[in-house]
Amino acid sequence: MTATKSKIYPILAILTALFILAFGLVMAKNIKAFCFIGGVFLLLCAVGCYRACLRVLPVMLIFAAVFGGISYLARRDVAAANAMGVRLLIIGTAMIPGMSVAPVDLTRNLNQMKVPKGITLGMLIALNFAPLLRLETKRVREAMKTRGAGSLLNPKVLYRAFLIPFVTRLVNISDTLALSVETRGFTLEKTETTTYKTPKFKATDAILILCLIAGAVLTVVI
Amino acid sequence: MEEHKEKIFQKYKIKDIVFLAVLSAVMLLTGGVMPLVTSVPLFGIIQLVLALQFSIIPAIGLMKVRKPGALVFIALFSGVVLIFMFVPMFFCLSVCAVLAEVLSILIFRGYRKDIACWFAATVYLPLSLPFLLIYFRIFGFASNGAAVQALTNPVWWVAVLISLAVLALTALGAFIGVKIAKELQKSGVMKK
Repeated sequence: MTATKSKIYPILAILTALFILAFGLVMAKNIKAFCFIGGVFLLLCAVGCYRACLRVLPVMLIFAAVFGGISYLARRDVAAANAMGVRLLIIGTAMIPGMSVAPVDLTRNLNQMKVPKGITLGMLIALNFAPLLRLETKRVREAMKTRGAGSLLNPKVLYRAFLIPFVTRLVNISDTLALSVETRGFTLEKTETTTYKTPKFKATDAILILCLIAGAVLTVVI
Repeated sequence: MEEHKEKIFQKYKIKDIVFLAVLSAVMLLTGGVMPLVTSVPLFGIIQLVLALQFSIIPAIGLMKVRKPGALVFIALFSGVVLIFMFVPMFFCLSVCAVLAEVLSILIFRGYRKDIACWFAATVYLPLSLPFLLIYFRIFGFASNGAAVQALTNPVWWVAVLISLAVLALTALGAFIGVKIAKELQKSGVMKK
């Protein structure tokens, strides 16, 4: 058995995200929340999530600036605009731990915890299918253009030329996928299985927990 | 009695789980607008923007996988990412899925009839309106954004209007979902 390549222990990543989200939203109206977000961001970079941090940073800054700006223009209240900015920065920061964990590692972790196989399989598929579905949507739209179907804003066109072919593709994809899963010996029964790679709880995970708790306490106390 | 019970509660197959998971992935993609509207100060704005997609997709899922628990599976699978967007909504939708399933089983004794699928898909999202109101009143998380503040202290006529609009949209969405599924079943693409 070998260890996986996830930067953070998968279940810890989810708990970390929930903690950041809950604490950050509670502290949203406090200006010290900016310090907490900055600290968490640096901490996540330090434990190896720097790629996810760099991917999220520009998006969350733009969103925070735009929505903070709109909030200021609507209410002429700097505190409300700050709170809005903090909320969006918190949502962005909370996404980083989840982005640093491969869906397959999360599934392995849940399997270790004896979560029913049906649920872990479903979660794995739901998480991995987003890019494929985007591609399918693009294909259906291209087919619509080829046929000269017209605008998607027309309900009849939307139903006949987009929804029906799209759901047909979903049914076909899921049938093929189910067959593929069964061919690989996957079963919903309680049978003995071998896991070749298991997520391991590392020292950096313990440091992450301790630093997060210390950061939250410091934000409240100081 | 035992035989009847077996008919209602059937065992899940891999193809059922896979189909529900693929539909959940579609729900995840279409639910991406949720974090953007949590800041809009209007009662039920989240439910209003999610109404159509969160009724069409469950209706299709229930029409193919006519087994109690299908809606709960969809709620759980789509909740994996939803939990990062708006945590109370994940718990709320999971509980609403259970409630919708219980109502369907009590009224229609399962999903054998098409109207049962339509009913469950229709009530699934609107159930979250009173649930979220009670949730935020109890836990007092009124600082989670303007939409939540509007949710805790709604103007009554706005609340009634939006609730009716959400219900109408989910009813329409569920109808479209059932219609798509029936059409695909007739053409042989989708098998029960």
